[in-house]
Amino acid sequence: MNRDKRHLIEVRELYKCYWVGSVPYPALNGVDLRVQRGEFLVIAGRSGSGKSTLLNCLGALERPDSGQVRVCGEDLGAWDDDRRADFRLRHLGFVFQAYNLIRVLSARENVAYVCQLQGLHRGECMERADYWLEQVGIGYLGYRRPDQLSGGQQQRVAVARALATGPDIVLADEPTANVDSKTGRDLIHLMQDLNRRFGTTFLIASHDPAVIQAAGRLLRVEDGRIQGGGVTYRPPRPLGLVCPRPRRPLWERLRLKWREHRRRH
Amino acid sequence: MKTVVLWIGFRNLTGDPRRTLLTVSAIAVGLAALVFLWGFNDGLHRNMLGNFQSTLVGSLQIHRQGFFSNPELARHIEKDAPILAALKAAGVGRWTRRLETYTLVASDSATEGSFLIAMDPRTEPRVTRLGEKVTQGRFFRPGDEYVCVLGAASARNLGVGVGDSVVLVAYDRFGALTAEDFRLIGIVSGGGLGIDRGLVLTPLGAAQEMLDMQGRITDIPIWVPPERLETVTGQLRRALAGRDLEVLRWYDMFPVMHEWVTLHNAFLYLFLGIVLLIVLAGVVNTLLVSMLERIREFGIHLALGNRRLGLFVMVLSESLWLGLAGIAAGVLGGIGLVALTAHTGIDLSLLLGDTQRFYVDPLVRPHLDLRHLGQTLAAVLGITLAAGLYPAWRASRLSPVEALRHV
Repeated sequence: MNRDKRHLIEVRELYKCYWVGSVPYPALNGVDLRVQRGEFLVIAGRSGSGKSTLLNCLGALERPDSGQVRVCGEDLGAWDDDRRADFRLRHLGFVFQAYNLIRVLSARENVAYVCQLQGLHRGECMERADYWLEQVGIGYLGYRRPDQLSGGQQQRVAVARALATGPDIVLADEPTANVDSKTGRDLIHLMQDLNRRFGTTFLIASHDPAVIQAAGRLLRVEDGRIQGGGVTYRPPRPLGLVCPRPRRPLWERLRLKWREHRRRH
Repeated sequence: MKTVVLWIGFRNLTGDPRRTLLTVSAIAVGLAALVFLWGFNDGLHRNMLGNFQSTLVGSLQIHRQGFFSNPELARHIEKDAPILAALKAAGVGRWTRRLETYTLVASDSATEGSFLIAMDPRTEPRVTRLGEKVTQGRFFRPGDEYVCVLGAASARNLGVGVGDSVVLVAYDRFGALTAEDFRLIGIVSGGGLGIDRGLVLTPLGAAQEMLDMQGRITDIPIWVPPERLETVTGQLRRALAGRDLEVLRWYDMFPVMHEWVTLHNAFLYLFLGIVLLIVLAGVVNTLLVSMLERIREFGIHLALGNRRLGLFVMVLSESLWLGLAGIAAGVLGGIGLVALTAHTGIDLSLLLGDTQRFYVDPLVRPHLDLRHLGQTLAAVLGITLAAGLYPAWRASRLSPVEALRHV
């Protein structure tokens, strides 16, 4: 138990598989991972290696097929959607590849929104938004809407939004993929700086060399397995166990049975 | 669920202002049309029922129990003091006294069975506007004795004119046949109002004397504003309970008029339903298209920690804001149109020719009944909210990851 508490994130034997029709695509194939508070961890890997799925499972956005995910001492496995949403709101910040700002809100409203969801007073949320926009270097752009900002500026707003609620962990999925290399480097330096100054844990999934170079610790993911980073390697399970078929709706099952019946006869 | 989602729902409508404007306009135009139609309808009914009541009937009448269905002089009101006290207590100031019975009107050349209404010349104008219907001669004045007023058709049938004499023959209070000579001083004509034929009017005093009814009357017609009718009726019924009296509203006496108005309103409710269906289809379409275009955005909301219920309320609030904006614009437009046409009037004579047989003045002035306005607003708001239910439910069922992957 004490050992668990030392780690902000502890993942054991995590499996996740996607189905396209009747074809299984294993995304995570027995991942074990431990992350300590304050780390600046980069998860590197090619497209389709499973790093985004891992981030989604850690971010309580996706349910693994099996395995245990403990984040901030909480086991996310059995939680319902609302509890997961609350957990994301209280403990996690997200930075997405495509910025994912809310287009009808200004930069400061985007940042303030998550604070308002936490139940803070609007005035306090706006103060926080101004503070964090200042911290990411775009305090003067607070009243602009996302379509009036460049890609780099939008991503800075997303970083400010991720930090505004005071999360334990910021999960960033390919944060530099949609910006030019200089802006990408600036963003990474910004996140490093924030990590050092505020002690926030950063988990960044990326295949950008600049990001990989900046990693405090680097994990490589390949075919749904972590290849390094001091995590025990486990041989993959047989496919049948790794990818349990999801329970389909009754109508879908009947339709498939009918199709199979027609094919046979 | 935080109230910020309501604000975000409102802001979402600014994302595509043209679509929002079109939807709000559709709701507003539909509502304005409905408000105007209700205004026209209510104005028409007000005019019609007002004319009907002010011609002869009044808003309500007090008789001895059973007199209205069987108007015999034996069912007369002996002492009206308790009734007048009850009227005073109810705050009713516009009442009159009448004596009504069947009679035979005879001229030199013809006779006609008629209904005799003897009225008090001083108090009758408080309740009815019969005096305004006199087309020849004049109406009663205080001090008139054995004079009468006939309907135009009756006068024509009897071959009499103003200044001629007619004999009224009737049974008196004791059942004895009595007859008196009356001088015709006026002829009333109401077009199609039903007063041209079979009606003879006399001053109350002369009829009481002729029918041996000194000081006695058969009914007390009363006028009250439509909005006080039910209250006053209730008060009078309570005050006069146990006195062998009946307090009848105009529609208790002539239910056909009331049923006609109810039927007419039912048509409008049907029309309201059709307009609501169109509004429903329009808003569902807008919200559904808007929802399908913003699946990724809903994914962001969910990923950031908004609960499913919060997202549901957020999308539903979009229909609420659309509805409120549409209602505000529609009410302004509709009330403006009602006010304008109430000022100018709508001339129905071109369309209907003679409108008097419907108790309607040719120039109708729309008037909006607040009850109908409230019902219409509530229905439009309800239907716009209902239109948002399905898109809101679909948005709230999205998986955050799949929604974020949506292009």
